[in-house]
Amino acid sequence: MMSPLRSAYVVGRRDFIATVWSRTFLFFLIGPLMIIGISFGFGSLGERISREEFRTRVAVISTAADFEGLQKVRNRLNGAFGERGLPELVRAEPDYDIGLQTETLLAARDQKIVAVLSGAATQPRLTGALSETSSLRQQMAHLLTQMRYESTLQDAGRKVAPVEVELVKVDESAGSLARERAVTAQIGQMLLFMLTVFLSTMLLSTLVEEKSSKVIEVLAAAVPVDSIFMGKLFAMLAVSGVGVLAWGTAVGLGLSLWPMGSRPPDPAVGWPVFALLIVCYYAMNYLLLGALFLGIGAQASSVREVQTLSMPVTVGQMLIFFFAIFAVGAYNGPLGLAAAAFPFSSPLAMVARAAQTPELWPHLVALAWQAFWVWLTISLGASLFRRNVLKSGGSSSSTPRKWRRKA
Amino acid sequence: MASGLAIEARGLFKAFDGKTAVDGVDLAVPEGTIYGILGPNGAGKTTTLRMLLGIIEPDRGERSLLGRANPLEVAEQVGYLPEERGLYPAMTAREVIAFMGALRGLPLAVGRTRGEGMLRDNGLGDYVDKPIKSLSKGMAQTVQLFGTIVHRPRLIVLDEPFSGLDAINQGRLETMIREEAAGGATIIFSTHVIAHAERLCERIAIIAGGKVRFEGKVAEARDRLRPQVRLRTRVADGAWRSSLPGDARQAEGVWQFELPRGGIEPLLKALIAGGAGIEELSIERPGLHDAFVAIAGAEAAREMDAPGTMESAR
Repeated sequence: MMSPLRSAYVVGRRDFIATVWSRTFLFFLIGPLMIIGISFGFGSLGERISREEFRTRVAVISTAADFEGLQKVRNRLNGAFGERGLPELVRAEPDYDIGLQTETLLAARDQKIVAVLSGAATQPRLTGALSETSSLRQQMAHLLTQMRYESTLQDAGRKVAPVEVELVKVDESAGSLARERAVTAQIGQMLLFMLTVFLSTMLLSTLVEEKSSKVIEVLAAAVPVDSIFMGKLFAMLAVSGVGVLAWGTAVGLGLSLWPMGSRPPDPAVGWPVFALLIVCYYAMNYLLLGALFLGIGAQASSVREVQTLSMPVTVGQMLIFFFAIFAVGAYNGPLGLAAAAFPFSSPLAMVARAAQTPELWPHLVALAWQAFWVWLTISLGASLFRRNVLKSGGSSSSTPRKWRRKA
Repeated sequence: MASGLAIEARGLFKAFDGKTAVDGVDLAVPEGTIYGILGPNGAGKTTTLRMLLGIIEPDRGERSLLGRANPLEVAEQVGYLPEERGLYPAMTAREVIAFMGALRGLPLAVGRTRGEGMLRDNGLGDYVDKPIKSLSKGMAQTVQLFGTIVHRPRLIVLDEPFSGLDAINQGRLETMIREEAAGGATIIFSTHVIAHAERLCERIAIIAGGKVRFEGKVAEARDRLRPQVRLRTRVADGAWRSSLPGDARQAEGVWQFELPRGGIEPLLKALIAGGAGIEELSIERPGLHDAFVAIAGAEAAREMDAPGTMESAR
């Protein structure tokens, strides 16, 4: 007797080749590549847009000396407000009619001025489409007050030296690290979730071909149904692996050409182990959900039924994802532990854990637990398939007997 | 195998949704024989075969295939052609044959070589690399048959193998079945066409209504009926009439009756002495069809002869 694994290999090999050696597989590969390309394009474009187009710009109608004072204060404080904290200031030489000048400045499309500050030194007035509580108004008030402090001190012949704060660097602090690692955890979860959402619903339809072409009878007579399921599941995992490899290469290439900001904070287990765990948990996540979808899809008898099923199945995946999000930051809390223990959210929850805590043994336990559930789901799906689907094969079901007799 | 049986089944029972499909079937298929399962559509032939192969489990009863209770344990020595043929449409003929062999443990490379040889030997050399979807239905069926036997199984199970084939291909299939049997394989096939079973089989099981009505040699089935005598005489009446058996019927001047237990000689003497003038006298062994009618009943026989079934038999 052939071992069940070898039978699964024979079935899976055929599926893998049939999928990868088809013209449609090119579209499968190209689709996400387009998204990746577009997001890189938009990424660099968007950065430029946000840098140039959306910076708040305030025109200051004042003398050069007044403006210089204001600009100095603005530049000094700006660093403390973060990259885009304080508005950009541009000076306008005072005209005869300040009111008219203000209107002209606000209307000038090429300047993109949000507000106009006039009467800077004595009677500051900010004109613009702003609310009472606008932060811009408060920022301008703050700048002007600061300027007034400084000039008052200067007039009194006093000077306050800026206080230098010495910085003592440590690699990490519990607060910052936990916050940062939560980001890594979420990125890991998101990656796993997106890939699985895109790829595992394919498994809903894998048995429809065999059923509609009646090949299932040939398969079921030769190898155990469990092997058929397992072969199909691993074949699709391999197919998704080809896709992920291709897209991953594209992303890597994109990042090397257009580096995007800073990389996510280091995960607790370190990058190499984290990468390995991501691969393992991706496979487990795919196998777990895939086995479930394969089992569900195997009960469907037509492509139409499969299509109808795919939406609720995706919603189910989203729910699992939201559940797993609880594990971020609270991996040892009741919800976090529950998410790690519930087999279908376990891979996502454990990825978050890997980003946040360096212990490795829980991962071995989790992987074994998940593998057990993959096996259980396949067995259950296969036994339902044997009971509900195979029993009705043969002549009596596909063609009504009455019709056959009369034909 | 110690018992010399390729297939043994005892009391197989299967019901679908409360409706009995197979009702206590017993079968014993000796190794190296050609065995036919005969019965009308819906008699339970396919369900019986699927239970024998382990595709479905019987609700009750036992079966053993090549001595194993779990048929999948001997899958490598079994070939199966389902009634509803089905192949992956995008695969080439050679790959399909190799894949079917691989499912039964044959290395792919060997399967490819053998598959190509089988296709070329049967005039399908041009289709070796053609996808199944470009083949005619009959060709695809032939390809599937090759896939069924490419791993040289000891037991070949064919469900309605003749349906869908034209007369030439039916003839080829009969030859192939005989060749495989001559090579030592056991062949069991189901059919609703009596002629195929009569020509090919050493043993048959007649199934109707989910039950085995007869199991044994074709000759035994036929021997259940007495030979039929046909007699035509020049003289219509005479003293010899009293020598005819009581159940003799006359139609269009021909007498028909079962051969009397005492043989034909006493009747012959009476006919000659009575001057009946024998124009025609024949003693015919009953055909399997007659036996089938006698065993399974006239209704089952009518179903076998229904237009739909005749068409697929043609």
